Amino acid sequence: MNSKNLIEIKNLEFYWNNQDEFKIQINDFSIQTNEKKLILGKSGIGKSTFLNLICGMISARAGDIYILSQNLSSLKAWELDKFRSENIGVIFQEFNLLDHLSPLNNILLPCYFTNKDLNKSKERAYLFGKKLNLNNDLLTKSNSKDLSTGQKQRISIIRSIINKPKIILADEPTSSLDFDNKNSFLNLLFEICNEEKISLLMVSHDLNLKNKFKDVIAFESFFKL
Amino acid sequence: MKVLLSLAFYSLISRKVSVFLTILCVSLSIILFSSIDNFRKSSKKTFFSNAKSGDLIISSRSGEIEALLYLIFQIGTPTNNIRWKSFKDVQNHPDVKWAIPISLGDSHKQYRVLGTSSDYFKKIQIKNKKLEFYKGEHFKDIFDVVIGYDVAKTLNYKLNDKIIVAHGVSSQDFHDEFPFRINGILKKSGSNIDKLIFVSLQALEAIHKDWQGGFKLPNVKHNPTSFNESDLVPKEITGAIIKLNSKIKIFQFKRDLLKYKSEPIQAIIPGLTLTKLWQIVSFVEQILFLICYLVIFITLLGMAASIYTNVNQRNKEIALLRVVGASPRSIFSILILEGIMISLTSILISILLMLLLNIILNPILDTEYGIYLEYNFLSTYNIIFYCSVVLISILVGLIPAYRGYKKSLNSGI
Repeated sequence: MNSKNLIEIKNLEFYWNNQDEFKIQINDFSIQTNEKKLILGKSGIGKSTFLNLICGMISARAGDIYILSQNLSSLKAWELDKFRSENIGVIFQEFNLLDHLSPLNNILLPCYFTNKDLNKSKERAYLFGKKLNLNNDLLTKSNSKDLSTGQKQRISIIRSIINKPKIILADEPTSSLDFDNKNSFLNLLFEICNEEKISLLMVSHDLNLKNKFKDVIAFESFFKL
Repeated sequence: MKVLLSLAFYSLISRKVSVFLTILCVSLSIILFSSIDNFRKSSKKTFFSNAKSGDLIISSRSGEIEALLYLIFQIGTPTNNIRWKSFKDVQNHPDVKWAIPISLGDSHKQYRVLGTSSDYFKKIQIKNKKLEFYKGEHFKDIFDVVIGYDVAKTLNYKLNDKIIVAHGVSSQDFHDEFPFRINGILKKSGSNIDKLIFVSLQALEAIHKDWQGGFKLPNVKHNPTSFNESDLVPKEITGAIIKLNSKIKIFQFKRDLLKYKSEPIQAIIPGLTLTKLWQIVSFVEQILFLICYLVIFITLLGMAASIYTNVNQRNKEIALLRVVGASPRSIFSILILEGIMISLTSILISILLMLLLNIILNPILDTEYGIYLEYNFLSTYNIIFYCSVVLISILVGLIPAYRGYKKSLNSGI
């Protein structure tokens, strides 16, 4: 494996429900530190499955996934869960905040499953909150139900970087946003990734995002389906 | 664990209405169980305390339970009488501390008349408390009567009111030539005593002078002032309550009494006989408990069903938790913790409600029904019961927890 690569995938084969006709095959894929990659593809083609493979949420029938030189298949289940919470930040479609938790608790969710100092993580949450115009009162309010879309975007970004991950996986985070919100979200995300030296792998079906990324891969042509 | 607890807690808070209703159902089923148990224990205690004053009860030979029920609770059919001489022999036995005669048979407006000595009011205890007078005092004159609290209340009797005693329980024949004067009203005791009318044995003897073999003799008429003391020594009584000098001698005394030659009499140990009686009716108690346990089980199953339904709507939450590092075991634990939290909160609420109900209802129950509910939520029995509620909640909670576990294995971004 190339030591410059943050993520490296070799000869990966994944079959949906173990049926041979539905598969994703990736012979060679990598992302380097600070790199930002966009994978474009139609809905339902397997983009989220691809991210789940990288996360270690599902396992492939064959091949290897290395993250930070660590072969995911060599990790035990609990080690994989811990590795994921420490090294991978995730931004979901529609941001996926838990309404019943405060914005701060939503941000701190990944910290609950690591051994990191929670107080330091809180400080970091407040710091980024301030940077992104989310004051402490808003972060500590009782639930996240009434937040605006913009506030939800920013909270989901802070949550994805709270554990200082090496990479952020973003699953169609802009799919429900209008043009302005989409731009501001991406600008913010890029800014944070640059500041924190975090790589970004985003999957989307939105062709308009092409211009925002230097490195764009078409899912259908790159991965054998 | 702290994290899982707080995640389970906030998740429950987010479903406050359905969780509140579940907690309410579980609390009410716990209260139902505790109330029945509490009521059973208190009634048993009251029932047993009625027969606690004496060490033995003597009567003519018959079924022990039958004799006990008739002499102490005035329930059932009358037993044969014993001779006054036999009673005196027992009373004068060196091992006997005191003996109180009891004579039953007559009534007043469906209330039993009990002939006894004035010692009855000094020696008999109900729930470890001596009988107390609400008004007046025990009989001073032959035709004085003492009535129980319920009799006074129901028939609206006051001191010095005159009452006429009827011959037998449902007889239409009255001892109307011998009116009794109410000289005392007892305080509420919460026992059958509240429904009794007490007269002296001499008075019973006097009103039956004109009677023989259950019938009034024609053309014989005594009047209340025509008796002297020696005329009124009773010939027979129904039985007696005996207190011995030492409890160690109870069994010996009981055996010795079987050898009494003048007539066949028996001694009953009230506690033992009541226990036998309680064992006969205990199956009803067990059925009642079984029903209560079923109610709790069904309620907790309802709780599990509500969590289960909810698990199906929590894909987003489960997926998020898994992606940020929660293991399937953590998801399983969160769902189990939700069940435990519901059951613990329900137990806490039921304890508080039971304590509150006790404060409100106890004075009413004590005054009106003579039942004093002693709710000790820290008793070993209750602690075991609460633990079993938590245990059942964990067991039924395994169903939604397993569902959540399986779901989490397949969830992701």
